[in-house]
Amino acid sequence: MGITDSILKHAGSGRPSGKHPATFWSRNRGWLLLAITGALFAVYPFVPFISDYWIDVAFFVGIYALLGLSLNIVLGEVGLFDLGHTAFYAIGAYVTAILNTTLHVPIVVLLPLSAVVAGGFAYLVMSPVIHLKGDYLCIVTIGIGEIVRLTMINNPFNLTGGPNGINGIGSPNLFGLAVNSSTQFYFYTWIIIAVVVFGLVRLQRSRVGRAWNYIREDETAAEASGVDVRSYKLLAFVLGAALAGAAGNIYASKQMSISPGSFTFMESSLLFCIVLLGGLGSIPGSILGAAIVVVFPEVFRQFASYRLLFFGLALIVMMIFRPGGIWPRKREGAGLAGLGIQGLPRNEDDLILMGKPDASILKPATTDTVRGVRLPPMTVTMDEGMLLQTHGVTLKFGGLTAVNNFDLNVRAGKITSLIGPNGAGKTTLFNMITGIYKPTSGQIDFMGRDITTLKPHTIISYGIARTFQNIRLFPSLTCIENIMSGPHCHARSGTWAAVMHTVTEVREEREIVATAAYRLNQVGLWPYRDELARNLPYGKQRYLEIARALATAPHLLILDEPSSGLNDKESEDLMVLLQSLVKEGFTLLLIEHDMQVVMGISDWIAVMDMGQKIAEGLPRDVYNNQRVIEAYLGKEDD
Amino acid sequence: MATFVEQSINGLTIGSFYALVALGYSMVYGVMKLINFAHGDLFALGSYLGYTLLIAGSSWVTMHFGLWGGMTIAMLFAFVGVGLAGLLMERVAYRPVYPTGRLPLVVSALGMSIFLENGIMAIWGSRPQAYPAAVVPSTRFSILGLPVTSLQIVILLLSFTLMLVIWFIVEKTTFGAAIRATALDRSTATLMGIDVRVVIFFIFALGPALGGIAGVMNGMYYRAISFNMGWAYGLKAFTATILGGIGNIPGAMIGGILLGLMESLFAGYVSGAWKDVFVFVILIAVLIWRPTGLLGEKTAEKV
Amino acid sequence: MATLLATKNLVVNYGAVQALKGIDIELGEHDIVTVLGANGAGKTTLLKSISRIQTIKSGSIEFKGKDLATVPAFQLAALGVSHVPEGRRIFATLTTEENLNLGAYGVRNLPAGKELQKTKEWIFSLFPILKERRKQLAGTLSGGEQQMLAIGRGLISKPSVLLLDEPSLGLAPIIVQEIFRVIRQIHEEEGVSILLVEQNARKALSVARYGYILELGKVAIEGEACNLKDDERVRAAYLGGSKVSC
Repeated sequence: MGITDSILKHAGSGRPSGKHPATFWSRNRGWLLLAITGALFAVYPFVPFISDYWIDVAFFVGIYALLGLSLNIVLGEVGLFDLGHTAFYAIGAYVTAILNTTLHVPIVVLLPLSAVVAGGFAYLVMSPVIHLKGDYLCIVTIGIGEIVRLTMINNPFNLTGGPNGINGIGSPNLFGLAVNSSTQFYFYTWIIIAVVVFGLVRLQRSRVGRAWNYIREDETAAEASGVDVRSYKLLAFVLGAALAGAAGNIYASKQMSISPGSFTFMESSLLFCIVLLGGLGSIPGSILGAAIVVVFPEVFRQFASYRLLFFGLALIVMMIFRPGGIWPRKREGAGLAGLGIQGLPRNEDDLILMGKPDASILKPATTDTVRGVRLPPMTVTMDEGMLLQTHGVTLKFGGLTAVNNFDLNVRAGKITSLIGPNGAGKTTLFNMITGIYKPTSGQIDFMGRDITTLKPHTIISYGIARTFQNIRLFPSLTCIENIMSGPHCHARSGTWAAVMHTVTEVREEREIVATAAYRLNQVGLWPYRDELARNLPYGKQRYLEIARALATAPHLLILDEPSSGLNDKESEDLMVLLQSLVKEGFTLLLIEHDMQVVMGISDWIAVMDMGQKIAEGLPRDVYNNQRVIEAYLGKEDD
Repeated sequence: MATFVEQSINGLTIGSFYALVALGYSMVYGVMKLINFAHGDLFALGSYLGYTLLIAGSSWVTMHFGLWGGMTIAMLFAFVGVGLAGLLMERVAYRPVYPTGRLPLVVSALGMSIFLENGIMAIWGSRPQAYPAAVVPSTRFSILGLPVTSLQIVILLLSFTLMLVIWFIVEKTTFGAAIRATALDRSTATLMGIDVRVVIFFIFALGPALGGIAGVMNGMYYRAISFNMGWAYGLKAFTATILGGIGNIPGAMIGGILLGLMESLFAGYVSGAWKDVFVFVILIAVLIWRPTGLLGEKTAEKV
Repeated sequence: MATLLATKNLVVNYGAVQALKGIDIELGEHDIVTVLGANGAGKTTLLKSISRIQTIKSGSIEFKGKDLATVPAFQLAALGVSHVPEGRRIFATLTTEENLNLGAYGVRNLPAGKELQKTKEWIFSLFPILKERRKQLAGTLSGGEQQMLAIGRGLISKPSVLLLDEPSLGLAPIIVQEIFRVIRQIHEEEGVSILLVEQNARKALSVARYGYILELGKVAIEGEACNLKDDERVRAAYLGGSKVSC
C-alpha cells in the first residue's frame, strides 16, 4: 500500500524543501518506503503463524484491490456512478473459463485477452449511453451488471454452464513455472498489482488523469476548456473494464470454477464501498478499502450470520466519521512536485518565465496542418479585419425564439461588447459560438472557417475560449491544476505516453505547467497556486477563470459578465487587466451590465433585445441611442 | 387472448407494487438526492411484519376480524412499522452523512440495505416463509368476462388510491409546494418559514410506509416471502423510477405500471428466464431515446 | 429612531477561519442601512447569520428586544424578518405564483385566502410583470424577473425587516433602476426597514440613511451615507475613480 505513496513522494524527493537540510532519509524516503513495503509483502507468506488460509485472504485482498483500482478509474477519477462494475469482472472470468476449458487456451494468454474482451465489451455497451447523467448512468450500469449475470445463468448456446457455472479451469503457467499454491498465487497477483499501480500512478498525474478529474468536477467547464468529455469517459470505462477483466482471469484460474453467484449486485456494491472507504480517486485508498472489505468479515467469522449485519453498520459508521475515506488523495499543499512532472526548474519562479507565450508551442494552430492534426481548410471568406462573424444565427427552443437572425461582427484585436436586457439571449448566443448549443439556422465563421457544427472542445482548440456567467471552476482541484486544463486541448499525449513517460509527453507536461504558471502569475494568483479553487474568495475565482481561458492561448476570449459581483474598485482593476490583454494581442468579446466597464473599454457595442439586434455602434452612439435607452439603459435618476 | 388478459391483469398487479415502492423512492430522492438502496428492504420488512401479525396466535387477527379486517390491520401494522423504520433509518444513517455529499450517502444507503437484509434474516431466518392460505382473500370471479380475484381488485384499487392521494398532496397543496421547495433548496426553503425537519419527517415516514403496504399486498399475492426479496423489488422500483423520470411522481407511477406490464407480458409470451434482461434492455433503450426518462425530470435550468 | 434590529459582537467561524470577528450593526424602525465591502468581507455571512441559516459562534442578534440567536431559522419569517438571498434563489421548477405563496408559508396568522390575495395584488402592483408570469415556471423567467420574484416572495409575509443581498447582481441598468425604485417605495410607503448588502456602492449609498463598510469580517468604517460618499478611504477602496454626487 505504501508503494504508491512512495512513488508519489519520489517525484518530489529530488528537491528538498528549503528549510530542512537534506538528509539521507529525506532524499531517499520514497525509495526506502517502497523497499520496506515490498519487503513486508515478500515476507508475509513466510511468517510462521500465517497459514495458507490467511495467504488466501491476502490473495483475495489483491483481487478486490485490483477491482477497486479498476472501479476507482471510473468512479473516483471521473466521478461516474458505476454500480455494475462486476459485469466486466464476470466477462473476464467467463472468457477465461470458456476458452480455457473448451479450446485449452493457456491462462497466461487469456490474461491480456480477458482484459481486451472486457474493455471491448465496455466500449460497445457504454458508447450509446455515456452521455447519460449521474443516476441515469448508474441504473444503466446496474442494468448491464444484471443483464450479464442473468445471461450467464440462462446458459446461452450452452457456453456458460448455467447456474452451476464452469469447472475445471486451469492454472497459469509462466514459462514453465506453474502457479498453483496459495503462496504462488499470492505473489502472482501482487506482482501484477504492483505493475498496475505503477501505471495508474503515472496516469493519474498526467494529462489524461487531470482530464478525468476536470470531468468529475464540472463536465460543462471541462468540455468548454477543451476536454473531449465523451472520449475520456469512454476511455475510463474501457481501462476500468480491462483491469476488472484481468482480475476476473486471475480469480477464475485460482478458484478453478466460477458461477454467476460470484458476480451479483452485492459484489458491485462492495466495489463501490471499497473506493469510497479508501477515498475517492486515491490509489492507496482503493487497496486499503479492499483490505477492509475482505478482512472485516473474516475477523468476524465466529459471528457467522451476523457478520454482514455488522458490516452494513460499519459502512454507515465509516461514512459518518470519515466521509472522505481513510486515505483521501490530498491535492492542496503538495506543491508543484505533487503534479508529478519531471524536469521542472528548481526555482519555482523560473517556471513562470518558461511559460511566456512565445516560447510555448501549445497554442491553436494557424496553419492547416500542425503536428499531424488536420484542421479543416479555410473555406469561408470573411470581411476585412473580422475575427468572428455570425450570419443570421437563430435558435429556437420549442416555440420560443431565443436568438433571432443575429449578425455579430467581432473585429480582430478589439474589444466588442454585447449588451441588452436580462433574458435577451446574449448568453445563448455565446453558447452557440462556443458550441454548447447548435443554431437552428445561420452560420458562425471564425478565422475563415465555418465552426457552426463543431463541438465545444474542438472550437476551443481553434482559439475561442470563454468564461461563464456563474463561475465554473474545478472546485476541488488546486488553482494551478485548474489552469492546466487550458493547454490540454493543444497537447496530444495519451494513455500509453503517460504511463511510459515518453520524451514528448514529459516535454508537453512541462509546457502545460509552465503555461499555467505564467497565466496564474499574470492575474496575480501565483501565491495561490497550491490552494483548492473552492477556497478562493469570489473575486479571485473570477480571475482564476479568466486565467484558465487565457491558458488555452485563444485568439478570441469571450467573457460573460466578468465584473458581476465585483465592486466598483474591483471592476476598475478588471478593466486594466482586460485592456492589457488587448495589448498582448487578444481579441475580446464581452457581455457586461456595468456601464462603467462597457463604455470605458469597448471599441464596438452591439445591443440585443428579445433575441434581435436593436443597435450597434461606437460606445457614445449606443449610449445616446433612444431605443437602447428605452430597452436597456433607462434614465439614471441619481 | 386469454393469456394476454391474464398476463395484463397480473402485470398491472405487479406494476402497482412497483409503482408504490417507486413512489417512495421518488419522494426520498427528491428531498435527499439519494438513491435509497435500502428502500427495497423496507418493502421486505413490510412483508414480514404483515406476515408476523397474521400468523400470530394461530391467525388470531383474521379469526377475530375476518379476512378483510385482518388484511387491513396487517397493512396498517406494516404501514406504521415500516414508517417508523424509515424515520429511524433517516436519523441513524442519512442525517449525519447528508452534509458530507452524495457519494458517502450512497455508501451509507448500501450499508443500510445490507444491514436490513441481514437483520431480517437474523430475526426470521434464511428460509422462505409463506403467508398461510387461510389469511388471504381468494374469491375468484369475472368482471366483463375477465378472470380476477378479489385480492387483485383490492390491490389495484388501493394502490391507485394511494398514488392519487400522494400525487395530490405533493402537487396540489401548499405543504406539497413546501416539499418541492425543500427538495430544490433547503436553506432558501428555511427562509420561507418551512421547517425542513417536518418535511423530511413526512417523506421518510410516508415513503417507506407505502412500501410497507406494498410488501403486505405482495406477500398475500405471491404468498412466499424471503429475506432477500427486497433487493429485487428495490431494483425494479428504482428502474421504474428512472423509466418514468426520477423525482417525478406521475413518472414513478407510470414507470411502475409499465414495468409490471412489460415484464408480465414478456414472461407470458416469450420467456420467463429472460424477462429481466428484457426489462433492462428496454430501460436502456428508453434512456438512449430520452435521457431523463419517459416523462423527464422537471428542469428549468440555464447553462 | 428606535432600534429594530441590532447585532452585538457577532462572531462566525467557517472551520478554523473567522468570517465575522465581532460585528455591531443597528437598524432602526423605518430605516435603510447598507452594508458594503469587498468580496469575502463577510457581508453575506452577516445576513445569513441574522436570518439564522448560518450558525453563529457567539454574540447576539436582537430584534424587537428579542434575541434571535435562540430562535430556529424557520420561525423568523413569522416574527417579521425576511431575507432575500444573494443570487435570487427562486425555486426554479415551481411556478411564479407557487414561489410567491411559499413566501407567506411561515406566517401562520395570515388568513390564507383574502389577506394573501390582497398582499399578492400589492406585490403585483410593485412588479406588474410578475402577474403576467404567474403560471410560468420561475426558472424560465429572465434574471431581472427572477430578482423581482425573489423580492416579492420576501415581501409577501409583510415583514418589518427586509434583508436584501445584492439585489442588483447581474442585472441590466434599467432593471437596477427599477429595483431601487421599488426599494425606495416599500420603504417610504410601507415603512419596511431594509438592510441592504450591495456591490453597487454608489446606488446603495444613494438610498441608504446609514452605511457600514466591512473589511475582513470587521466594521472598518461606518457613518451617515452622505458622509461615506465623500470619505476618501471609501472612495479609494470601493467607489473607484468615479465622482458621486450627494
